[in-house]
Amino acid sequence: MKITLLRSFLLLGAFLCFGMAKAQTVSGTVSDANGPLPGASVLVKGTTNGTQTDFDGNYTLNNVEDAATLVFSYIGYKTQEIAVNGQSSINVTLEEDAQALDEVVIIGYGQTTVDDATGAVAVVNSEDFNQGVISSPEQLIQGKTAGVQITQSSGEPGAGINVRIRGTSSVRSNNNPLFVVDGMPLTGQDTSAGGADVGTGTSSSKNPLSFLNPNDIESISILKDASATAIYGSRGANGVVIITTKSGKTGQGRFEFTSNLSYSTPAKTFDLLDRNEFLTALPEYGGDPNALDFGSNTDWQNLILRSVASQNQNLSYAKNYGSGNIRASFGYGKQFGVVEGYAQERLTGRINASQRFFDNKLKIDANLTASRINDDGGAISNNSGSTGDLLGAAYFANPTWPARTSFSTGGSEINPLQLLNYYDDVTHTDRFLGNVSAEYSLTDELKAKVAVGYDDSSSEKYQVQSALSTGIGNAPGQGQGALSTVEVTGKLLDITLSYNKEFDNSKLTALLGYSFQSYQRAGKNITALGFGSSDLNSMISDLGTATSTIESQLDGRYQQFGYNNTGTFVNRLFVDEPGTFDVASPTGVPISAVAGDYFDSTDELQSFFGRAEYSIANKYIVTGTLRVDGSSRFGPNNQYGYFPSGAFAWKLNEEDFIGDTFSTLKLRLGYGITGNQEGLGYGNFTVRQRFAGIGIDQNQNINAPGLAIQSFTNDDLKWEETAQANIGLDFGINNNRFSGTLDFYHKTTNDLLLQQEAAQPSPQPFYFGNLDAKVINQGVELSMNYDIIQMEDANWNLGFNVAYNDNMVEDFDGQIQTGEINGNGLTGAFAQLLAGGQPLFSYYLREFGGFDENGISIYPNGDVQEFVGKSALPKVNLGISTSASYKNWDFNAFLAGQYGFYVYNNTQNAYFTAGIIGVGKNVTQDVLTNGESNANAADVSTRFLEKGDFLRLQNASLSYNVPLSGDGTLQSLRLSLIGQNLFIITDYSGLDPEVNVPKSLNNIPSLGIDYTAFPRSRTVTLGISATF
Amino acid sequence: MKAIKLNKIYIWTIALAMFGCTDLEIEQTDSIFTDLSGEFTGVQAGASLTALYNAVRGQTESQENLYALAEVSTDEFVVPTRGTDWGDNGVWRTLHSHTWSPTHQRVKNTWNDQNSNVYNATTIIDSRSNPTPQQAAEAKFLRAYSMFWLIDLFGQVPFRTPDEGPDVNPTVMTRAEAFDFAVKDLTEAIPDLPSVGPSEDLVRASKAAGMLLLAKFYLNKHIFTGTGTPESSDMQQVINLVDDIAAEGFALQEGYFELFTDDVDTETIFFTTSSVGNVIWNGLHYNQIVPDQAGGWNGFTTIAEFYDLFEGDPNVNTPGSGQEERRGFVPTDGTNFGIGNGFLIGQQYDANGNPYKDRTGAPLAFTKELPGLLGNNERTGIRVIKYNPANGAFANHKIVFRYADAYLMKAEAMLRSGGDPTAMVNELRALRGASPLGSVTEQDLIDERGRELYGEQWRRNDLIRFGQFTAPWSYKEVSGDDTKNLFPIPATAIISNPNLVQNPGY
Repeated sequence: MKITLLRSFLLLGAFLCFGMAKAQTVSGTVSDANGPLPGASVLVKGTTNGTQTDFDGNYTLNNVEDAATLVFSYIGYKTQEIAVNGQSSINVTLEEDAQALDEVVIIGYGQTTVDDATGAVAVVNSEDFNQGVISSPEQLIQGKTAGVQITQSSGEPGAGINVRIRGTSSVRSNNNPLFVVDGMPLTGQDTSAGGADVGTGTSSSKNPLSFLNPNDIESISILKDASATAIYGSRGANGVVIITTKSGKTGQGRFEFTSNLSYSTPAKTFDLLDRNEFLTALPEYGGDPNALDFGSNTDWQNLILRSVASQNQNLSYAKNYGSGNIRASFGYGKQFGVVEGYAQERLTGRINASQRFFDNKLKIDANLTASRINDDGGAISNNSGSTGDLLGAAYFANPTWPARTSFSTGGSEINPLQLLNYYDDVTHTDRFLGNVSAEYSLTDELKAKVAVGYDDSSSEKYQVQSALSTGIGNAPGQGQGALSTVEVTGKLLDITLSYNKEFDNSKLTALLGYSFQSYQRAGKNITALGFGSSDLNSMISDLGTATSTIESQLDGRYQQFGYNNTGTFVNRLFVDEPGTFDVASPTGVPISAVAGDYFDSTDELQSFFGRAEYSIANKYIVTGTLRVDGSSRFGPNNQYGYFPSGAFAWKLNEEDFIGDTFSTLKLRLGYGITGNQEGLGYGNFTVRQRFAGIGIDQNQNINAPGLAIQSFTNDDLKWEETAQANIGLDFGINNNRFSGTLDFYHKTTNDLLLQQEAAQPSPQPFYFGNLDAKVINQGVELSMNYDIIQMEDANWNLGFNVAYNDNMVEDFDGQIQTGEINGNGLTGAFAQLLAGGQPLFSYYLREFGGFDENGISIYPNGDVQEFVGKSALPKVNLGISTSASYKNWDFNAFLAGQYGFYVYNNTQNAYFTAGIIGVGKNVTQDVLTNGESNANAADVSTRFLEKGDFLRLQNASLSYNVPLSGDGTLQSLRLSLIGQNLFIITDYSGLDPEVNVPKSLNNIPSLGIDYTAFPRSRTVTLGISATF
Repeated sequence: MKAIKLNKIYIWTIALAMFGCTDLEIEQTDSIFTDLSGEFTGVQAGASLTALYNAVRGQTESQENLYALAEVSTDEFVVPTRGTDWGDNGVWRTLHSHTWSPTHQRVKNTWNDQNSNVYNATTIIDSRSNPTPQQAAEAKFLRAYSMFWLIDLFGQVPFRTPDEGPDVNPTVMTRAEAFDFAVKDLTEAIPDLPSVGPSEDLVRASKAAGMLLLAKFYLNKHIFTGTGTPESSDMQQVINLVDDIAAEGFALQEGYFELFTDDVDTETIFFTTSSVGNVIWNGLHYNQIVPDQAGGWNGFTTIAEFYDLFEGDPNVNTPGSGQEERRGFVPTDGTNFGIGNGFLIGQQYDANGNPYKDRTGAPLAFTKELPGLLGNNERTGIRVIKYNPANGAFANHKIVFRYADAYLMKAEAMLRSGGDPTAMVNELRALRGASPLGSVTEQDLIDERGRELYGEQWRRNDLIRFGQFTAPWSYKEVSGDDTKNLFPIPATAIISNPNLVQNPGY
């Protein structure tokens, strides 16, 4: 029905005709301060007669009447109107629009200007991006925008990032905003596999956005309130981040080359005991220095960490030739981590092209990018047990052990060098993202656009632990490995009709659209035990060979296979009688036991949406949007959801009664309903069966799994819904020399999508349902900008943004534990509890009251966990930026801070207690003086909870633009010195308070827990940028 | 004009051909389902039964849930906190000291595990799943097995039919109703279960396994139904069932520790291919190593009172210390890589007969006494080991039902119905190298069950039946409180099903 309507509308549009007139021809050149301006629009005012300038900025316009007025416009420039008055040649120089607030903001399925925006949207352009070593796009805008909290989970190259726009409103994973790249909404799912546990615990997936070259990004728009995000319907509730890549802007063909060389050092290390301090301290903790002295003096932490140089190179070519433009780029970078063995290599290529046809009526755009990311990792995990991961093992390794890989500790402790040298983790991720759109101007007012997009990401991760290792998992003596692959394929079809009509004193903009999107997720998890070789490279190659050899010799479809010396079976789903089938054992498999499990699911989204904006007298702007979203993830009773929004803006500065004090004064009101369906996987509303998990035990046995019911029947399953109200004020004084934005918002999230505890008996302990509880986020955002000095060759600008957010869970009677705490004697320990009347990520701990005279912990409120009134959610986010320029010199500095939150120091809890030195392991200096007895149990308590408040000098750069004549090949040359994380002001005793090691429990994510987080680096970068 | 119109239609045609207007229905590429509306239409009985056996195997392997509730809450095991080790948020301490709460993680996991088995069994038994008579019987056996534990541990059993979605609050059976339900299941199942004697095939349900479970129900009937006194007719049922089990070919076997290996023996009635690694390594010290495992986890120990139930030198358990076979011994000559059997007390030795040291450098000598649940060093407590790592550090053969248990159940049924089981008990004791008892009292019988079946998950059930679960013993904080005979219904379960009522005392 909706389709039919849409089609009728399209056809109707096609019949609208063009008016014809007869008059003279006018031609000329449009230029800006730098020269000819291709692609500028020239229009006879009040008519549909218009054209665009060609590559040389020239235009010719026929049928122009004598009395006509020509309108010259170009995005980012002030529009000029010139009366023809019989002239046949009119040359125009357009001025750049200095008003910062007139920046273009890309919004959902369109664009507007900051001046006209009715919603809470913010835009960060490339010149304001963070600089230096940037591994993914979010880092470019970290701290730049009020109300957008971006937290890197650790210092690992390519580490995952948490982006929270206006607080956290969901209580499951996948809480990031929707990312849209050049119109293509990306899947919220991980595109690479997380690390399987091959002995030291599991690790997280890499940041899925690393595939975008930060150098290719032109601007990032952040849609914060519901009136802006409702156009994205069931995926808009967490906000939307729209990334726009660079296109060919400059007229003549230009090459740009940038090269960065960076040097990173660990920003902070732990103050561990050396040999002598360790041996001296032992007796007090019941240890025998003679028995525990292995004769060496080894700084294990130093052996694992390193200072290292990284590099990044980019070459791009851009050209605008009037009827179109093209930009092609190639980037290569290799970033090394400050832990031995860690690196991320990235190759990216991009071609963006735009071409106009048929008198500019048809515009074809294509954005194509391909990337390869190679991650080298190691044995750092999120949840290592009592023997630690690579970092943990190094922190508490006996400093008298010799620094030899072959050294065996004799018991169940791990020699850190074995973890370093007998373990390898290699991930390759290839991604292609392409979208092509065709926009046709049916009339001057009506445009139709069809966009198709294709996004394919395929990733394979190899993890191997050599047979030479001792004291760890199943690997000793046989070798252990895992191969995990994920292929995510997204397809998009967008069809939109936009209508743009100016009336005498008003303007109407309308949009109608249809969108179809599908995401397929397929892949496999292979585990293997019993390798013929102990060499890591051979093991990786054998793992690949074993997998392909087995796959090539198995017939038919199967979900799982198990191969070992007793035979081979496959588990088939798609046969008359699903079950286990013994098959002939494949030959030529170089590993003795291999098990495989395959997955393949596709989800679809189908949407209809519309937006209308009506502006009266350039004073009052009203916007309304509606999106109808259907998703294959929802239950049959709720296949389609309706997401409306409305907003009103009043440009007070246009009113006479305001006077001239304010160059900008705009009041914005908005309300809308958005949804969130991320994290809700495939088919969670019906009884589905699949073979249960498969594994290989220590003895290389593989038990054939049976069929298990994956999900409950739940016809009502649907999105989670957020209603958000926003009141905002944009202001600017003195031609916006001082400007700012103030926003108040209130968000209520209902029908929380959550893996709830199923009332037993139930096939699974949890099922996906919509919980009748609320999460409320409310807050204030303020950003201000002041151009303190504005002179011809000297400028100084100061910017400031601050956001306050208050979070609360209401109407929830359950209690769900999260924030798993690991380490010695910490099995089953947790630190956070989700409950009604508390903010999300509230700490639930024993209240610690110091040590008694025997060095045993005192818990004044009893040995029980309770809410301690503290949460891991920051109340306040702060960003301060300043930029100054003098002649050819530029200086930029950017400080970011977070306040009002607490970090649980699981690293200290697990590794730096008296009980640890009490069993002959190393600790930090402060343990020796804290008054604790080695008989004390380090239970989870406020002892390990610390204030996380920090202010970081995130970025500081000094650049010099080398003066050039402009006659030579070299058009510009810029040298930069960039420092990242130069200092941090914090009371946190761990390495860095900006940390979030994933420690989810019961499918509820955690926040703010530090457990052997990859150390953050301090980085200095020397950059050169040249155009020619 | 026409060109434009054609153009638009062309685009539409391409678009629709490429993507189509979707009905938003998911495809069966990843899993199988019959109906998107969620209506239950049956499961694949055979493959689902495999999954159910696998679930039981996994639960039997774990030291953390059912095993912990049934053993660490008794005088057989204590898991003391050693410095920081095994603090584990207090889950072990509260189990032994009887101070657990409705939020205890192990209590919750056990509830979820056993109830989930019940649900999955129910879906297999459902006629829409078309099970064969034997498949239905096996599922009924497994449902009764899980219900046994739910009845035993929690005293009430929720039930849900496969048609009931998450919007339906499961009905709740009282302890007596659940007893009747499970006994009916077993009575119906046994005729359809295969008759299997001692063999490798006992990894699945057999007539003997069904009969042993049914005998367990009758032996505990007066507890489960709340009458308090055993009825002679029920005891006769137990005696008859044990005799029927013997008729299937099962008998006591000489060589106590040889039972706990992969080899076929005449005692094992039902086993799983669970790894026995947990129950080996959860007690052994970090430095006690064998070629295929670098050290234990140094947690589980027993208490002096339990060790003293055995005859032999109270402080030494090296070979020839006057101990009976079941107390095992600590080898001093490197036998079994130096890892002993039974009860490990005093200095421990490695595969070459050299004394071990602990991680602080002190001699590794396990003490009989502990300073308490907290403040232990690495050496406190006698370690208990039934499966020896010499037979594989992670061998896949763990006994669930054993004939010696049935044998002692028969003896108990005789005693409770006025008979004299002394000869029977002494026959077993003679086989185990223990001196004969003059006459067998209730106390003798519970002690004998402890000596024969320690670490086999029956201690809590036995102590309750003999009225001794709430008796005082070392490191136990609460005694004399009968409400401890049931665990609390987990807090999360009470919230998710309003039909459940919390057990008294919690």
